[in-house]
Amino acid sequence: MEQILRSAGEKTLDEASRSGVEAEAFLMHAKELSIEIVDGRVETLIQADETGLGIRVIKNGRTGFAFTSDLSDKAIKDAVHDAISISIFTTQDQYHILPDKAAYPEVQVFDQDTADMSLEEKIEIARSVERSAKSVDMRIAIIERSGYDDLEYCNLIMNSKGLYACETGNFSGIYIFLVAEEGNDAQNGFSTMSVRKAKDLSAALVGKEAAANAIRALNARTIRSGKMPVILDPYVATRFSGIISSMVNAESVQKGKSMFAGKIGEQVASPLCTIIDDGILEEGIASSSFDSEGVPAQKKNLIENGILNTYLHNTYTAQKDGVLSTGNAQRGSFRGFPTVGSTNFIIVPGRDSKDSLIDGIDRGLYVTEVMGMHTANPISGDFSVGAAGIMIENGVLTYPVRGVTMAGNMAEFLQNIDAVASNFRFYGGKGSPSIRIKELSIAGE
Amino acid sequence: MLDKALLAEVVQFTYSKGIDFAEIYVEEKQASNIFCEDDQIEKVHSGRERGAGIRVVKDYNTAYVYTNDLSRSGLMKAAAVARDAIGGRPSGILQPINLSKIDAVFHIEYQRLPEEVAFEEKIQYVMKANQAARRVSGLIRQVTVAAADVHKKIQIANSAGEFIEDDRNRVRLLVNTVSESNGIIQTGYESAGGVCGWELLEQVAFDDLAIKAAELSVRMLSAKPAPAGRMAVVMSSEAGGTMVHEACGHGLEADLIQKGLSVYRGKIGMQVAAPCVSVIDDATIGNKYGSFSFDDEGTPGQRTILIENGILINYMYDRLTAQKDGRISTGNGRRESYQHKPVVRMSNTLISSGQENPEEIIAATGQGLLVKKMGGGQVNTTNGDFVFDVQEGYLIQDGKIKYPVRGATLTGNGPMALANIDKVGNDLGFSIGVCGKDGQGVPVSDAQPTIRIKELTVGGTMLSNAR
Repeated sequence: MEQILRSAGEKTLDEASRSGVEAEAFLMHAKELSIEIVDGRVETLIQADETGLGIRVIKNGRTGFAFTSDLSDKAIKDAVHDAISISIFTTQDQYHILPDKAAYPEVQVFDQDTADMSLEEKIEIARSVERSAKSVDMRIAIIERSGYDDLEYCNLIMNSKGLYACETGNFSGIYIFLVAEEGNDAQNGFSTMSVRKAKDLSAALVGKEAAANAIRALNARTIRSGKMPVILDPYVATRFSGIISSMVNAESVQKGKSMFAGKIGEQVASPLCTIIDDGILEEGIASSSFDSEGVPAQKKNLIENGILNTYLHNTYTAQKDGVLSTGNAQRGSFRGFPTVGSTNFIIVPGRDSKDSLIDGIDRGLYVTEVMGMHTANPISGDFSVGAAGIMIENGVLTYPVRGVTMAGNMAEFLQNIDAVASNFRFYGGKGSPSIRIKELSIAGE
Repeated sequence: MLDKALLAEVVQFTYSKGIDFAEIYVEEKQASNIFCEDDQIEKVHSGRERGAGIRVVKDYNTAYVYTNDLSRSGLMKAAAVARDAIGGRPSGILQPINLSKIDAVFHIEYQRLPEEVAFEEKIQYVMKANQAARRVSGLIRQVTVAAADVHKKIQIANSAGEFIEDDRNRVRLLVNTVSESNGIIQTGYESAGGVCGWELLEQVAFDDLAIKAAELSVRMLSAKPAPAGRMAVVMSSEAGGTMVHEACGHGLEADLIQKGLSVYRGKIGMQVAAPCVSVIDDATIGNKYGSFSFDDEGTPGQRTILIENGILINYMYDRLTAQKDGRISTGNGRRESYQHKPVVRMSNTLISSGQENPEEIIAATGQGLLVKKMGGGQVNTTNGDFVFDVQEGYLIQDGKIKYPVRGATLTGNGPMALANIDKVGNDLGFSIGVCGKDGQGVPVSDAQPTIRIKELTVGGTMLSNAR
């Protein structure tokens, strides 16, 4: 596959150089498999074969982008010329440059065993997720969706400065969405796991976790409004990580869309809070030797004991700030321009057990689910989200709670982290333990 | 696009013994988008994509294979993978497939196709809107303006012998503004779009859209923290129909019903909303953002009454879910692209207008929240719980609009909220969006008149109103 992509990349750069522009070719080939199980049978099986080319050209600081799914000579030529004709209309910006050649760290992202696994074995993994969830409790009434996914990809980046990077990788995942019922009440449960090696998938863990989530939420009720200490489950904490990762994104910072602007070196969070972005984490789902522009991936301490150390940069934002790219260029597919994004984004666990976080709380909420997280405002930091969880009274978990909103501001949220547990878990590329916030507004009845 | 004979050959090849349904969907797409930020054109994208998806169904199980390789050999290879995955055997042809073309009943006319308008012209519109927003106030800190268009050609052929060809164009405009004063930051957002060409600008003034977003972000700077607690909520027609889409529409999609994931399961013929409430899904309204001649399975777009005077009348179906229930598709089988299998989706979903004057609805409300603009939201269809962000809200006291409030969210339950609607205005306002479900996004529009919900939980940071 590398040969086919490389040849298309060379044609792209040749065509661009004939037209007198600098260029970058991003090529991708992906094979995707998705198996969805209902009652032990394969309800949907999707197989995909996808190839594409994204072209970025730069001339006199003006940049243009075009993509095509067709790698024929004519389509490549058309796309190069589309990108050039577009670039004429974009604003001249001296910070648009292409990265130079580099040496890459060795990161293992391909697992031969996963690639060799038969379709039947994968279907069996998917079935066992469903089985393990159903075996937990009679109240697991409906399996909404459960299944297995995997992706094998080859990414190739080359540019006019002689940069050449190519990587073949794969990963797989399982997931389940289910419903527990009791009397007139129905509650959802969900769990997921993504790994580099299919043999590390734990169908039992995922099935049981989803079932337990749904069952512990049954017969939930709302509570009296008030300010109270709150503990976030690792999954909920990773949802907040999403907001934090956009606040440390240099693109947001430079455009005045982050409350972290101008705060490098300042105490932006509690001393208990350390957050890293690790692009080369062993077996990390978001690990890679290089980012979407071909810059070497690396590990960064973003917030260290509450002090903001660095932002996440791609080549453009780094150039603008006069720093080096942190290897955080990212694109969803060949259809997009490289933006800035996180890799393996980690809230570093502490030493306390989850139970010790609950100890000593007279009245508080253990939050297991948030809704509407995307409505949080990364600029002002204000958030107000729907929440569900378990009430904490006199140091113990008591009854389930739903129908409340949890509101606050990210600046206070981060400063008010007063305990970080040791129960770390990854959800996709984001990982966190349980964390405790000294006080948040909870609105119920 | 592909030759009809080739499409028939692929379907025929796949439609072997034991297979219930086979289909090929072909798409050719050209898309562009323009993005302005920091007072400059930051990004302009353009792309072309071609692909096909082959779907084979047996005993309600689906195999879906897609590829960018539209050569005969590429398609046949994909067809064989799909057929084998579902357990079809190349043992015998069932019957010869004769494709006959179905013509559209509801037509959408296009005037200025995306490729007929020069980049330069589109960029001018974007820059003008950017300047209009920035002129509104010295407190504006950032303006982002985007315009996107897409021209899609599709072909669908299936084992029922149906064959359709469709040509679709969409244009979408977005404006986001950020204002700041004394350390307080507020945002404003406006969007417009349609299944149309650039003649959209004759219906929607891009500059006005930009000004509206800018004014909103400035106005919200003086907003006070939203109250928290249970109170009456008046939703202005300007808010669009996000609530009906999220809190009710999804629960009426037949796939969720059949999986037991909807509170509306088994409730046909029953009272599920206040008698003043009727809900309709209609793909055939002018050139609204959710309109279409055919859905993405080749079924003509149509108008479906879902709830009439509070009584549940019908669900929305695609081909597969309809067959399961012994019904016919309501033309709600949609997909994002050739990379997705069709699932049940809404088109343009609305609460019908009622009799009351919107101003009188506010005047009749002693204490509550007026919602003029909704933000994002999320709903749990299984139990009907929802949460919405309020982008533009005002406190109502003694029937009068008092002051803007910020940071409010609405938390509630879909069926309970619909049952609690006690006033329905004689106006109707649309909003557009891209609705996400099962990992695919499709363009939709939603609409509602001004309505009042007797009581909802408003979440805010001001707890003083709470008990």
